[in-house]
Amino acid sequence: MFSLKNIAQSMLQPLLAIIAGLAVGAIAILIVGGSVGETYMEMWKGAFGSFYFLTNTLARATPIILIGLGVALAFRAGFFNMGSEGQLVLGALAAAVTVIYLPGPGWLRMIAGLLAGITAGGIWSAFAGWLDARFRLNLLIVTLLLNYIATLFTGYMAAYPLKDKTGSAAMAQTVMLDKAAWLPKLFQGMTLHAGFILAVAGTLLLYLFMKHTVKGYEISMLGGNPLFAGYGGVQRGKLMIASMFASGGFAGLAGAVEVLGTQYRFLDGALTSPGYAWSGIMATLLAGSNPLGTALAALLLAALQTGGMGMERNTDVPLEVSSIIQAALILFVSAKLTLSFIKRKKARSKNGSAV
Amino acid sequence: MLLEMDAITKSYGSVAANKGVSFKLRKGEVHALVGENGAGKTTLMRILYGMETPDSGMIKLNGRPVSMNSPMDAIRNGIGMVHQHFMLFSSFTVAENIVIGREPEKGVLFDRKAAAAETVKLSEQYGMPVDPWKKVGECPLGVQQRIEILKVLYQGAEVIILDEPTGVLTPLEVKELLLAIRQLADQGKSFILISHKLNEVLEVADVITVLRDGEVTGTVKASESNEEQLSRMMVGRNLVQQARAGIQIGKPVLELAGIGLKGGKAKALLDNITFSVREGEIVGIAGISGNGQSELLQVISGLCAPDSGSVKLQGKEVAGSPVHAIRSAGMAHIPEDRYQWGVSKDATVAENGLMGHTKRHQRLGILERKDIRAMVGEWVSRFGIKTGSLATKAQHLSGGNLQKLIVARELAQETPFLIAAEPTRGVDVGAMEMIHGELLRRRQEGGAILLVSSELSEVLKLSDRILVMLEGKMVGELSAEAATEEKISLLMAGGKAVV
Repeated sequence: MFSLKNIAQSMLQPLLAIIAGLAVGAIAILIVGGSVGETYMEMWKGAFGSFYFLTNTLARATPIILIGLGVALAFRAGFFNMGSEGQLVLGALAAAVTVIYLPGPGWLRMIAGLLAGITAGGIWSAFAGWLDARFRLNLLIVTLLLNYIATLFTGYMAAYPLKDKTGSAAMAQTVMLDKAAWLPKLFQGMTLHAGFILAVAGTLLLYLFMKHTVKGYEISMLGGNPLFAGYGGVQRGKLMIASMFASGGFAGLAGAVEVLGTQYRFLDGALTSPGYAWSGIMATLLAGSNPLGTALAALLLAALQTGGMGMERNTDVPLEVSSIIQAALILFVSAKLTLSFIKRKKARSKNGSAV
Repeated sequence: MLLEMDAITKSYGSVAANKGVSFKLRKGEVHALVGENGAGKTTLMRILYGMETPDSGMIKLNGRPVSMNSPMDAIRNGIGMVHQHFMLFSSFTVAENIVIGREPEKGVLFDRKAAAAETVKLSEQYGMPVDPWKKVGECPLGVQQRIEILKVLYQGAEVIILDEPTGVLTPLEVKELLLAIRQLADQGKSFILISHKLNEVLEVADVITVLRDGEVTGTVKASESNEEQLSRMMVGRNLVQQARAGIQIGKPVLELAGIGLKGGKAKALLDNITFSVREGEIVGIAGISGNGQSELLQVISGLCAPDSGSVKLQGKEVAGSPVHAIRSAGMAHIPEDRYQWGVSKDATVAENGLMGHTKRHQRLGILERKDIRAMVGEWVSRFGIKTGSLATKAQHLSGGNLQKLIVARELAQETPFLIAAEPTRGVDVGAMEMIHGELLRRRQEGGAILLVSSELSEVLKLSDRILVMLEGKMVGELSAEAATEEKISLLMAGGKAVV
């Protein structure tokens, strides 16, 4: 009984936010001269309208969920890891290179590719953590700057040493990976691949890790009050490197599953231009670094993006309006429109001017 | 009647902080509000000052109902509050701090000279001398307190709320403050004084209202009351006096030799500190705060490495070792600042209780949550910690209850050595009695305790030996029998005469 009431209350806030966000979107649609009802219907269809679109949305959510989990882990420990994008592309390149050059059966190369992605993303992220711990460089700035190094480095690798010279297209990309090492598709003819299962499993594991393990506890305490953690004997340095490694590892895994499950090669810009990393960070911020909430928020963001594409395909409303709706929704969700404000007003009217 | 609060009720979730509390204040009256931690004193005053909205009840000023929706409303109605933790900008001057919010202007510019003149005028009018041009950070705490009161007076306050005003002051500063309160009351200002120090309350107040569990248990005239009666009204029972029983002193547990710590400044923070704490012994360190006590504790507990000297715990050299190594060598630590070091405010009671206990309550790195809840739950009932549940966030606990949680957590480490820094700061008499009892029991069991306290009475009551610190040096050692408040005060002040 209590839980039902609680759930209803906790749902009310995001629901109000979504309604408010859609209302702002409606204004934008009216300004460009579209029909509000039709546009929203097309958006809905584009995100969830059929089994194909639903799985498409889930596929898009996969890397966002993984990146969001990594960022959430670092945030919980009190570290602002803004380097997801660099960790993502390095993970993707490492996975591609591993699968291309490693001998052996396909399944083994696939697993090795995933592990290589985790390791590459993790090391890049832990490196930023080490710079902070060793030289007191500001972690936020370091992780942001390392993004440039990583994206430009992978771009160079794809354009020169690892460039696919077999095809006719002059794209900065590696050769196609051996089909035996691909992540399996979950449904015939759909884009959704096994990486989604990894993302769901990662969500649950991270949730359980934070709640039930000693290290998860220490990470929360370190993030909550670093002085308290230090006073209690938590080893900040070690824990920082470890949590930064895990954080970057999630982003690296996101890159690896995209390469092994969607692109089947490393293609420069394929991971950066959809803004997966920033959507992941956004999902984390929206959910207050809660792992389950991060996954849900990632799904919402992915749905807004695929829905926006559907809208663009079938109406005259441009894709930018979808971005406006997305931004408005995020603003309203993140504003803590708590009910306390309404409650206080009620109390005031009840007691007259006395309080 | 200047101010009336009528049947105020306020609940946080399932916990009622105020239950139908009524409170009256006359003009020129000093009205003390006493009660244990969590009794609802602070909540009541936050309601009066517009920081909280009551669930029901009424506030009347000069017989006219008023609504306080923010501190701005309260200030406009002539109510000012001096918080327990000073709210001053330490890098700004005294005058700048006092005129904040209503700065005198010259065109569009801030007229600093006028501000200083206003400050001087105010301080002369009320007999509270301050230097308007001095930086607040350079003023002693007693002067900072004075600045807070002048700031409130500048805002035009007729009713001044003082929340635990003497907590951080030296005995001399306390005397000056109480005198100033009396003088202002004689000039027609009214005071509400929140305090747990009954002797001070009895000295300065006209009327005393006692709160217990959110309800008023009585309002008495100070001249017709005494400490025993007030204690009884506060805790609902008689307090037991604890005595230190003699006990065999054992081998040294903690040995410091020649500890030195250089600060950024020319003067050393710690200078050649040597002493030991033995089994079955409480060693008290007295001194005006800021004379190296904090640094000494940080060195011993591993939060800061000394530049020279050795620290031996149970015969093992631990100087410069990390905290976890020193803790496993046998140290527990009640920190001096509970909010800074002692808890994570956003974490739950259970999570805060777990710190330092993870090794005992895990299997393969997985926390045994049931055991942990049982452990913390036992502390909650044994120490009478007032909390909604174990999942309540620490920030919702009152200071005293938080302190009890920290004390319970550190005692439960069952280590041979315990640091107790300001173990009862801001804690009411009931909780103080209990914490003192627990410390003495640990000593009785052969524990070695290093006590650091700015309360002389506490140091005198608990310690077997008393060391006095001044400017990073140990300037004296007294046995419990030889120590008196006068002797210690003299040493604390560097041998100069104290008033």
